[in-house]
This record gives sequence, structure tokens and C-alpha cells, in this order.
Amino acid sequence: MVGLSVGEKHFIQGGIAQDLRSDGRKRLTYRPIYVETGVIPQAHGSARIRLGATDVIASVKAELGKPSALQPDKGKIAIYVDCSPTAAPMFEGRGGEELSTELSVALQRCLLGGKSGSGSGIDPSSLVIVEGKVCWDLYIDGLVISSDGNLLDALGAAIKAALSNTGIPKVNVASETSGDEQPEVNISDEEFLQFDTSGIPVIVTLTKVGRHYIVDATSEEESQISSAISISINRKGHICGLTKRGGAGLDPSIILDMISVAKHVSEQLINKLDSEIAAAEANEEES
Amino acid sequence: MAAKPGSAPTTYSPSLTQKTRPPIFKGNDLDWVRPDGRGFHQCRPAFFRTGAVNSASGSAYAEFGNTKVIVSVFGPRESKKAMMYSDIGRLNCNVSYTTFATPVRGQGSDHKEFSSMLHKALEGAIMLETFPKTTVDVFALVLESGGSDLPVVISCASLALADAGIMMYDLVAAVSVSCLGKNLVIDPILEEESYQDGSLMLTCMPSRYEVTQLIFTGEWSTPDINEAMQLCLDACGKLGKVMRSCLKEATSASQE
Repeated sequence: MVGLSVGEKHFIQGGIAQDLRSDGRKRLTYRPIYVETGVIPQAHGSARIRLGATDVIASVKAELGKPSALQPDKGKIAIYVDCSPTAAPMFEGRGGEELSTELSVALQRCLLGGKSGSGSGIDPSSLVIVEGKVCWDLYIDGLVISSDGNLLDALGAAIKAALSNTGIPKVNVASETSGDEQPEVNISDEEFLQFDTSGIPVIVTLTKVGRHYIVDATSEEESQISSAISISINRKGHICGLTKRGGAGLDPSIILDMISVAKHVSEQLINKLDSEIAAAEANEEES
Repeated sequence: MAAKPGSAPTTYSPSLTQKTRPPIFKGNDLDWVRPDGRGFHQCRPAFFRTGAVNSASGSAYAEFGNTKVIVSVFGPRESKKAMMYSDIGRLNCNVSYTTFATPVRGQGSDHKEFSSMLHKALEGAIMLETFPKTTVDVFALVLESGGSDLPVVISCASLALADAGIMMYDLVAAVSVSCLGKNLVIDPILEEESYQDGSLMLTCMPSRYEVTQLIFTGEWSTPDINEAMQLCLDACGKLGKVMRSCLKEATSASQE
């Protein structure tokens, strides 16, 4: 990763203690976010997010499938992340697998909620077509093209943008079906259903350096971390998932403090992201 | 394979908080009665035994109700990647399920992320600088999965590390809490985990009162978070005491 000399480490830590980071930001300021939607025409929805030098793409594809026997009235959603070797040479082959699994699991936890499906950002029961027989399987794939820290936040934002760009084709079900037969479905090419993405949470990663917290760490700052917490917060201010990353121990009162700071930051982030996504969609429609 | 006959099973149920919530009977199926008859804030009896595997540097076996886990620690051994010099030690963790651990054969492969979670939970507690250039391997095997698997694996692994003589800041105790509707249920079994609306897994070092790993799933409001964390920290403190008494028993038995 990044090799830093002792002098550089002190410089970063001292700057953070004085609320001035290496690129001039304050501790709780995000880098400028650029959103582009509809970057992958073959997918049902896609988005590309650039957060400083971090560049990620998320794509959403929906395929017809059968709901699981345990939850016949819900569709299925799967989230996978792939770290491409273009981001770092160590991601080639199986090198990036550990990081990919960690990111995939964290995103699944934040966006899909508990096992019973409650607390999920995306309502799985809106994906069902014929209960018990046919449902939509949603595959959300994230790709990391360039990594400069804060991958989880960028991927969370990219998935939110991709889902607001997603159009699921309308399905007409042939009405006469008996018992065990698979109903016939006609997938319409023209009409599309849009997702309601106001319930999707954003992910805020707070990194603790010394005694202060910073948001949106670059990879230089990330190499310094003692510990970090990634919190997924939705519009209502409820926590939808929390993962502690990094090895050092944290006092429980510090964790609660970090949660309240994250809530405060997430309000601004949600508003900023929504306006950027709306602007990107408007751009896409014009072109 | 349970505790010796005649000795009361040690348990680490946390103390009830001063303000107990009145039970909320909603009339629908949120009124949950635990299948094994425990109270909402009551944990399963915990059984630990060190020295389960003779050929390992250190090992431990843990049994919490139907969850049975065995952990072996090998090391410190010479690092395979001898080219990457590191002046602190390396920790390598692996968690695997036996094929007969789950009710449906072979379902344990869903939990590939447990290895990295175990690594994160333990690395904050081990003094890595005491064994530079070498690696400590921690191998965990889940013999039977009865719910709350990862917390049991973590607690058992830290006992195995203590048995191997690896220097640590403190033992690591782990507990998980499930949210079923409005109720917070500690130490869930497999059935409760499949119905849960949210879960919290917390690992901490009880004597230092530091949290090394914290994972929330599902939607939580802030008062619920506070209550759940307090419950877990309380239970971890008691679990730490149980683990210590197990280590003491093991050393006094070997001295005789």
C-alpha cells in the first residue's frame, strides 16, 4: 500500500488534530462527488461515482427467478463487489478476494438488513411477480476501478445511484395457471418500473486518527488508522448497519459518540447525493 | 460432553438493567417465547475446556448449548512469506464448518467472512510485537452450529491463544444479541437467528473495557443501540470471568 515516513505520519496526525487535512479539507468534509448514471446500457441500471481519486461503478441487473421456499413473497437481492487489478496490482487474481469479500459482506449488511428482511433499504416484496413461483432476482455488482481510500462509502453511494437509475421491465402474467405449472410471463420492452430509493441508506465511514475522527479518508490517511467504523444511516436517522474495521480496541462511549457524529454528517451527505443523482439523471435524459 | 456431573453449569447472563421495559404484547406473533425456555436476557450455560488437541501449541473446546466449537493454535511458526519482513508478528485465522454442522448438509460455506471477522476481533488483543517475523495460526472448526456461532468461535479462540502462551493484553469475550420485533434477545439460537429483524455482535476485552469488534445488522434506533450495547458489555464481563476460571482450573489441574 502506501509507505509513509515517520515525518509524514506526524504531519498527517498533527494536521488532523488542528482540523486541517493534507488536501485542505476539514475533518468532517467529503471530497467532491461526481455522479454519472446510465454508464452501462446493457444493465437495467448503473452508475459511476468519483470521490476524489476513488472511482467505482455499480450495475444492477434483474433476472427472472424462483423465490426461495422460506420466503415465497419476496424477491432475492445479491450484492457482489469486485476489485479490479487496475486499481492496484495486488488485486490481480485472488489478491483482491479478501477485500472484495469484506466489502460485499459490509454492503449486504448495510443495504439488505436482517435475515427476516426487515430494515432493508430495498423492499424485497416489491420484486415478486407471482407469489411462490416467479420473482425478480436482483444482482447488484460493484467494480472498483481506482482506489484512493473510502471504498465502502463510494460503493454505497454508487449502488444508491444505480438503483435510482434502474428500470425493471413490466411483466404481464398469463392469467390461467394451475397448481404447479410455471406461469408464462411476457417481459415488456417498453414499460419500466422505477425503484423508490428514498429508503436506501448511505454509508459513512468514520476513521479515528489519534483522538479525532475524520470522514472520507484518502489512502494515505487510511494507512494511519487505529480503528474505523462504517455506519449505514437512512433518511430517518436510524442505523441500518454498523461494522467496526481496524484492529485497535475502542471504548464504548467513543463508539456512541462516533455514531452521533456520523448521523450529523449523513444528513448533509444524503442531501448532496440526492441532488447530484437528480442532476446526473437530468443530464442523461438530455443527451 | 457437558460439564462434570454435580457441578452447576456456569453461565454469564447479564444483570437486568434498572429500568426494565414492561413486556409489549402486540397480539401478533411478536410475542416470542424462547424455545429452550430461557428469559430474554438469559444466556446459555457456557462450557470451556483447554488442551483439547494434544499436538497443537494450544487449543480449546467450547460448548454453548448446541453450538460446539474446537479451536487449535499453532505457533509462533516461521512465516511462509519469508521475503516480506515484518517487525511484528502475523496472525492467520481460518474458520471452517464441518459438513454435518448445520441441519442441511454443507450449508457452512455461507460463512466465508467469519475468518476475517475472527482476525479483526483478535488482532487488537494480541501483542504482535512479541513474536516478530513469525506467524501464529488459529484454526477454528465448528462441529455443530446451534446459533451465535461467531461469538463462541471468538471466545474459544482467545482461550486457545491463552493456552498456547501467546502474550495478549486481555482475553476476548464475544456475545451477540438479536432483535425480534421489539424484544432484545441475548445469545440467540439458530431458530431465533432466522427470524431476527436485526442483530448485534460485540467482542470486547472485559478488563480493559474496550470493544475490538462491533457489527450491527438491520435497522436500529439510538436507544435500542444503547440498551443492546450495555447488555452485551455486561454479558462479556461475566463471560470473561467464566473464561478466566476455566484457565485457572486447567493450570491447577496440571499442577497436581
